[in-house]
Amino acid sequence: MSSSNDAPLSPRSQLALRCFEELLDCAVADVASECHRIARLGLDRSVDAEEEELRVWAARAAAGGDHHHPGGFGVAEEGGAGPGGGSKGGVDVFGQTHPAIAADVIECMNCGRPVVAGRFAPHLEKCMGKGRKARAKNTRSSTAGRTRSSNGIAASSYSPYSNAANTNRVNVPNGVTDGGCGTGGDHSSHVL
Amino acid sequence: MSTPSAPPPCPHLAAHRLSSRPLRFLRRCLRVRPLGRPEIRRDPRELPRCSPCAAASPSQSPRLYACLSCAAVFCPSHAASHASASAGPGHQIAVDVDRAELFCAACGDQVYDPDFDHAVFLAQSSSLLPSTSSTSPSPAPRKRRRVDYRAWAPDPAEFALMSSADPTTSASAAAPAGLRGLNNLGNTCFMNSVLQALLHAPPLRNYFLGDRHNRFLCPRRTPVRHRATEADAAKVACLACDLDEIYSAAFSGERMPYSPAKFLYSWWQHASNLASYEQQDAHEFFISILDHIHENIKDDQHKSHAQGHGDCCIAHRVFSGILRSDVTCTSCGFTSTTFEPCMDISLDLDIGDNTPFGVANTKPHVRNGERGLAGMNSKVSTLMRCLERFTRAERLDAEQKFFCERCDERQESLKQMSIRRLPLVSCFHIKRFEHSAVKKVSRKVDHCLQFPFSLDMAPYLSSSILRSRYGNRIFPAEASDADAVSELSSEFEIFAVITHSGKLEAGHYVTYLRLNNHWYKCDDAWVTRVEEHTVRTSQAYMLFYVQKTLYYKACERAAAV
Repeated sequence: MSSSNDAPLSPRSQLALRCFEELLDCAVADVASECHRIARLGLDRSVDAEEEELRVWAARAAAGGDHHHPGGFGVAEEGGAGPGGGSKGGVDVFGQTHPAIAADVIECMNCGRPVVAGRFAPHLEKCMGKGRKARAKNTRSSTAGRTRSSNGIAASSYSPYSNAANTNRVNVPNGVTDGGCGTGGDHSSHVL
Repeated sequence: MSTPSAPPPCPHLAAHRLSSRPLRFLRRCLRVRPLGRPEIRRDPRELPRCSPCAAASPSQSPRLYACLSCAAVFCPSHAASHASASAGPGHQIAVDVDRAELFCAACGDQVYDPDFDHAVFLAQSSSLLPSTSSTSPSPAPRKRRRVDYRAWAPDPAEFALMSSADPTTSASAAAPAGLRGLNNLGNTCFMNSVLQALLHAPPLRNYFLGDRHNRFLCPRRTPVRHRATEADAAKVACLACDLDEIYSAAFSGERMPYSPAKFLYSWWQHASNLASYEQQDAHEFFISILDHIHENIKDDQHKSHAQGHGDCCIAHRVFSGILRSDVTCTSCGFTSTTFEPCMDISLDLDIGDNTPFGVANTKPHVRNGERGLAGMNSKVSTLMRCLERFTRAERLDAEQKFFCERCDERQESLKQMSIRRLPLVSCFHIKRFEHSAVKKVSRKVDHCLQFPFSLDMAPYLSSSILRSRYGNRIFPAEASDADAVSELSSEFEIFAVITHSGKLEAGHYVTYLRLNNHWYKCDDAWVTRVEEHTVRTSQAYMLFYVQKTLYYKACERAAAV
């Protein structure tokens, strides 16, 4: 920006330069005036607080990185990646340990069968007929069969047991997802 | 950040106020351009010049002042001489003609006066407002009647009853009440993490533990109400009831991890599109269950959900706030305002630098006095910077021209968001998952985010944003945005952080809870105690803050449910 001292500027360049300097001064004065007002009227507390927070955060983060947090109870790997995360050889805050797959046994509220907790979700998915692996064909035919039989025609011969199982398949048409929602779901479903 | 208060006037300003005409007389000289600064011009086309400068050299100074007493115009270098040399007192106070700021030539400093600011504010509001709400009506200003807090403590008989029922009442408990692991039922860490945060959201916790929704008495469970789609529904799934059951289980004193199988079942019955055995997004789940809780227990008498008052159900009462969106025409300054209820705030990660902040580095790169110039100099994103970016005025694309009613044509516009009303619990969702529809790729942003444990939301409120839009003038209380006075405090404290580690397709959610000022890591069934730095250096995905001070609202109905 500094003009060379050798060749004098043309009047047009001088004018342009002066214009630019004036604009620059104006902009700087604008900012100075605004900041002066903010400072004088006591509106700038948040700036200091934010910087202080950042300093504290950085200091504590750096300090913590130098040494592992004390063992004691509750030794856990930080940022344990991988699903079903757990500690590698340690106890929780109550002094307990847990297997990788939850061993609790739950009674499925859909079919009544006992299921291991760690495998409850995949079981329920098939049980309710949802998800990619849902089999839709059975329900359609059984529904049709029931309507026919209610008219007095003995069409399908199905045992009461399978009938009960079929009525448990709910909402089949809209239950099948295309697996599009990974861990990073799309954000279109909520306000904002 | 409190409302701006006028500093005590310098002696020259004080003397001027006493002796001269009130500063409000300047009002007729104030010219306001849309989106521009207020200017002082006696005549609209007037071009002020500094007389001494004009005599000496043809160059112009960018800052010009007009003396309030004699209307002489001068530049800063001649200001002092005008103040001292002029005949008679009272020539010390001048006004910056381009910025409408008062200047004391004797002190050589900018000074402030409430009356003058009031005049400027009136000039600005008459030309730039009125802001009309186009799509939704602005919420009626409701003064909430507050009830005084009366402290309660159990008497000996009640205390004996409590101790016998719950051993954790006694002080010797190893861990705070309500702390309990949740079993992973098969890729359900997204659900467990959100449930842990909800379990310890104070207003929600108090609601359920206070028996405000009793699952044994809930009318939605009775067979009377049926849904046509579920032929076998003898019991209708009520998510609030299932949540009540989880609260009971978590606060029962039992320490073995609990399996929220029933909740999963109920949720899948409601949200069939999300019902599948695979990893899901915790935020999506959060919004989904709040939505369904609302559907389950909404009080049909209160149609105020649309206005975000939150009286319809506990989910909205706790999480619902109101956002204000202002779209301003850059041509004429006309502003269109809309209000929207929101359950959370989704923030873009403000990536200043591409290099990640390395915790292993010895020296943190924080410089004194640095004011985050769009994150250029610092290598860390902070929550407050993300919020600043959220509430910044942004120029909309040329393709998204807004139809200005005053101009009667499409114009380029500025859009600015602000918070009209804060919820009891603020949930911030950090947008770490980017989906590009064009490139058909998704990726996770691993950038580290700094977040404070105590947060003051005052700078992001509508009142603050509006005030700064009008140059931070000192408003008299009545003249300010009348319906934006927030009676509630704007200070928040963090209580839960949901973090995501790993890749987009295969990752893991963990919740950090802050109880009794200690941090606990809830990793499905594993609950462990951790140090602060673990939380600070984690990858926050969802942050939960609760208002520091809660108020009782006077109950409008005789029998409170």
